[in-house]
Amino acid sequence: MTPDELTSVTVNKTVDARGTACPGPLLAAKKAIGEISSGEIMEILSSDEGTKQDVPKWATKKGHEYLGTVEESGFFKIYLKKG
Amino acid sequence: MENKKMTLALFSGSLDKLIAAGIILSGAAADDMDVDIYVLLQGARAFKKEIGDDPDQLAMAENPHLKEEFLKSLETLKVNTWMEFFKEAKELTNVKIHICGLAGKIWGGEKLEDFVNLADDICGIGEYITSAQEADVHLFI
Repeated sequence: MTPDELTSVTVNKTVDARGTACPGPLLAAKKAIGEISSGEIMEILSSDEGTKQDVPKWATKKGHEYLGTVEESGFFKIYLKKG
Repeated sequence: MENKKMTLALFSGSLDKLIAAGIILSGAAADDMDVDIYVLLQGARAFKKEIGDDPDQLAMAENPHLKEEFLKSLETLKVNTWMEFFKEAKELTNVKIHICGLAGKIWGGEKLEDFVNLADDICGIGEYITSAQEADVHLFI
């Protein structure tokens, strides 16, 4: 999805993991995805550079859909759809 | 699909290596792995109730002169303590922590109650070997 499409998508859960370093955001994502239903969308806010690759790869491996990443000022948002 | 298995021989009782183990454990937990940790020699000392997360009683495995800088950075970056990592991993996936019986005795720990409550049981080396043989990932830290 394009950044414009992503920012207008309905998000079912937001995980703000800004201010934590690896593996904080990954663990936060792992915990939170258990709290939404299949087909629902979660966004993860992070400022940890390693997370940019780590969370999408983890999500795809666990059967979720990686929708894309949107850059903000000083952080980014990763969008996932639960499988 | 059956979970992948990780066996970790945790020999080190040093501050930096315990945190490394905790971070690896977090990755395994995020991936829903079943983890068996065998706590050997120096590791068992860190698991004693009176040691645990007390940084004053834990040494660095490498560059001992950088301990203060290391601890300060961990605090700034809001990194968990080693025990917090282990606790969180136990909450997220199937992690069993086994204390080597001999190692426990070396540091004056005979019973499970002598160790931090992360520990699940006291075991012998045979169990470790069997677990390592069956593991998808086997680490010695």
